[in-house]
Amino acid sequence: MDDKAPLVQFLGLTFNVTNLISITVVMLITFFLIFWLSRKPAIKPSGKQNFLEWIIDFTNNIVGSSLPNSTGQGLRLLAFVLFMVIFVGNQIGLIFQVKVGDFTYLKSPTADPIVTMTLALVMVVLAHFLGVGKLGFPKYFKNAYLSPYAWMFPLNVIESITSFLTLGLRLFGNIMAGEVLLNLLGSIAFPHGTLASISWLGFIPALAGEVIWQGFSVFIGSVQAYVFVTLAMVYVSEKTIVEEL
Amino acid sequence: MFSVDVLAGTKLASGDMFFFILSFVILMLLVKHFAWGPVTKMMQDRADKVANDIDAAETARQEAEKLAGERREALQSSRQEASTIVTDAKAVGNKQRDAIVSDAQASAAALKQSATAEIEQERQDALAGVQNDVADLSVQIAAKIIQKELKIEDQKALIDSYIEGLGASHEA
Repeated sequence: MDDKAPLVQFLGLTFNVTNLISITVVMLITFFLIFWLSRKPAIKPSGKQNFLEWIIDFTNNIVGSSLPNSTGQGLRLLAFVLFMVIFVGNQIGLIFQVKVGDFTYLKSPTADPIVTMTLALVMVVLAHFLGVGKLGFPKYFKNAYLSPYAWMFPLNVIESITSFLTLGLRLFGNIMAGEVLLNLLGSIAFPHGTLASISWLGFIPALAGEVIWQGFSVFIGSVQAYVFVTLAMVYVSEKTIVEEL
Repeated sequence: MFSVDVLAGTKLASGDMFFFILSFVILMLLVKHFAWGPVTKMMQDRADKVANDIDAAETARQEAEKLAGERREALQSSRQEASTIVTDAKAVGNKQRDAIVSDAQASAAALKQSATAEIEQERQDALAGVQNDVADLSVQIAAKIIQKELKIEDQKALIDSYIEGLGASHEA
């Protein structure tokens, strides 16, 4: 991406200000959305509570389809929050993209590989951690790396790495591509990136294209949130449940 | 301490990872406290309530079925009872009718018999009375006839004829 982002050094770590802002905004929006939806829960649900319960049922089903056990019970909240964060994160860049000068200050955090790889890393580490906790290290090692046959050890090691990479890069690639295309369409209307540079010839097709592409991106963002949560749960189930041969 | 590095992409923004994980964990805790807990509890309550309601409905249905069965049985038995009562009443009525009829017949026969006997008695009495009267009357008539006819010439003639008869028979 040609977007430039301001970087800050703090405690020896490098911080990307765009990501800090985007992540914070996404977390706030997600929290207030869920907070608002969950006010005054009642036995007989109405309106927004139905909607929230529908989402909760949806994520619970994702967890339940790969982990129909106590491990799955414990991961329901994680799956729900994960889904909501990725969903909101995917959509936010479609609605707002704040660019000041050369720097972008607000975009989809999931369009940045560092964020998606962090998420994937967390999920993969969690899967291995739960695997060790549930099976004990020898059994976990055998299940994760020596099954179905011991000679498949190298393949299993590679598979562990690739599953982590694909989990993070799939999300990143989908969302980043969506934003790149939005920016390209935008640059038809504003060739030099400023309001003054508006090209009326390009404005109408650019607007139509943006509307169509945004609609499609909403769909992609939802599907990617679903896919990410599903795959994360599948990895956890692979590491925690010994498949009987 | 702060230094802005405008050369994006030249350094791995490792701080973002920590920031993201930290904010994600905070969000998860907040959601758990404010939304997830109450809502899932409510969902569980509802599931329990629905299960209870289904059980209660099942119990109520069984109760109703039992009651309906009892009602049906009671109705059946009362119908049977009613028909028994009617049959009994009919039998009693028939018996009473027969008794009344036979009583009436018997008393009618007795009445008839006593009437016949009475009539016979009266006839006998009347006959007896008539015989007595006839006897009296004949005696009186005889007396009257005898008194009237018993005159001296007649007696003489009679005695004479009787004596003539006697002489004739002697001569013979």
